[in-house]
Amino acid sequence: MSYLDRAMIVLTLVGALSGLVGTFVVLRRRVLFAQALTHATFPGAVLAAVAGVNIQIGAAIASLVLVGGLALLGRVRGQGTQAASGVMLTAGFAFGVLLQALNPNIPIHVDSFLFGSVLASSWNDALFAGIALAVTVVVLLIAGKQLIFAVFDPRGYRAAGFNERGMDVVLLLLTTLTVVAALPAVGAILAISLIAAPPAAARLLTSKATTMLFVAPALGVTAGLLGLTISRLWAVSAGASVALVAAGIFLVALGINRVRSGARS
Amino acid sequence: MNFVNTPATPVALELIGAAFSYGHDVALDEVTLSVHEGEALALIGPNGSGKSTFLKGVLGLLPVTAGTMEIFGAVRGPDTARSLGYLPQSDEVDPEFPVSLEQVVMMGRYRRMGWWRLPARADRAAVAEALRLTGLTTLAKKRFGLLSGGQQQRGLLARALAANPRMLLLDEPFNGLDQPNREALVETIRVLKGEGVTVLLTTHDLALAREVCDKVLLVNGTQIAFGSLADVLTLQNLQAAFSGFQVEVDEHSVVLPGHDGH
Repeated sequence: MSYLDRAMIVLTLVGALSGLVGTFVVLRRRVLFAQALTHATFPGAVLAAVAGVNIQIGAAIASLVLVGGLALLGRVRGQGTQAASGVMLTAGFAFGVLLQALNPNIPIHVDSFLFGSVLASSWNDALFAGIALAVTVVVLLIAGKQLIFAVFDPRGYRAAGFNERGMDVVLLLLTTLTVVAALPAVGAILAISLIAAPPAAARLLTSKATTMLFVAPALGVTAGLLGLTISRLWAVSAGASVALVAAGIFLVALGINRVRSGARS
Repeated sequence: MNFVNTPATPVALELIGAAFSYGHDVALDEVTLSVHEGEALALIGPNGSGKSTFLKGVLGLLPVTAGTMEIFGAVRGPDTARSLGYLPQSDEVDPEFPVSLEQVVMMGRYRRMGWWRLPARADRAAVAEALRLTGLTTLAKKRFGLLSGGQQQRGLLARALAANPRMLLLDEPFNGLDQPNREALVETIRVLKGEGVTVLLTTHDLALAREVCDKVLLVNGTQIAFGSLADVLTLQNLQAAFSGFQVEVDEHSVVLPGHDGH
């Protein structure tokens, strides 16, 4: 298999994974938080490079530190943590830049970390994304309906005798897993495009959360493969192409949504 | 089994000198009462007087820090929790969230269904019955966020009913309801009582308490009075509970100025 086949496999897995987990991120209105998470991975990756360990592991640990920090500050809730997420986003990124400047010889390129280098992705990247997707599918098969309930109405979920915080932690862990899996393909900054845009588009096209869980991964895979094809044709950055196709899919969904509601009224 | 004159029905809820606390702060104490199956209890008192605290205490969200409480003859635990249904004060739900009313009511079944399972026929039947009881059958497929506030409130009640609770706890269920929704809710409570469901509800609306409730617990951080409506809702008791507020009583209702339910 060529590097191109490998890139397609990685993007398919990451597109499907981002669509599934992104559905909950979008429904929970936690896109900015996920964005902060992507940036917080940066210092972790740099530190991992300095220490000479796997960069994805460093990124994952940094994400967990961020999640833990926000959880300690209080409940991680939609509006309440917007400001905290915004601060963490820039602080995490700046810290990474600083660390990198202090260690000019480490083998991590800011460009490829931020924007991805899907054509250079390894079998390990594909394996990681595949495992992340499998874990996510299993979690959703076991607790998918409870997750939707908890995201829709946290208080009602608790009143029904369930552990709402536990569901929150599950969702945060899945989000972290997704961000870290998407890093090699589309990079830290563009990962959010696959997490936010396909589910947001799916939401405009469907009226049920359960349907979103099928439409969003399909759109995510489409964005990944179409973006890769475009980047080959025009010899432009793959990560940027994927992000732009994802944004394009969202705009098309918005147009369809407008035409439909126009026809209804 | 016919309990037209109800004293023969078993005791559903019994408290003796019970207190509920948030940490070290006692929110409500000295509660002694008993409610029988199929009866409705109104909890009345000023804001912050311990009405919601009482419901949370029965639910098991707050500890009993003094005295005793028994639910269906048993000390509170996982088994008693399963027999309770709870309607919190009207929740703000995301109006854009893509779920239908029917799906929201089905959420009431999740506890029984278990983790990975899909709804079975019994679950769908329970949802249909809960929708019928709350008069929402025709709206089943509608997106929850598109329903009016009163319909959403009844939808959340249907969700609580879908679990087939033996005791239903309603926190300010009449708040913000328009006349048709209010009447529909009163009717639903009557039907439930007829089926032997015990109802505990907090309200500021004494007229409604008179319509559907058999007993009243008047509180103001502690128990002021408990008993039948006629015995408890006296001017003297109400003045004791609402000290500092002007209380007016006429033949049909009691007016509590400044307590129109916020």
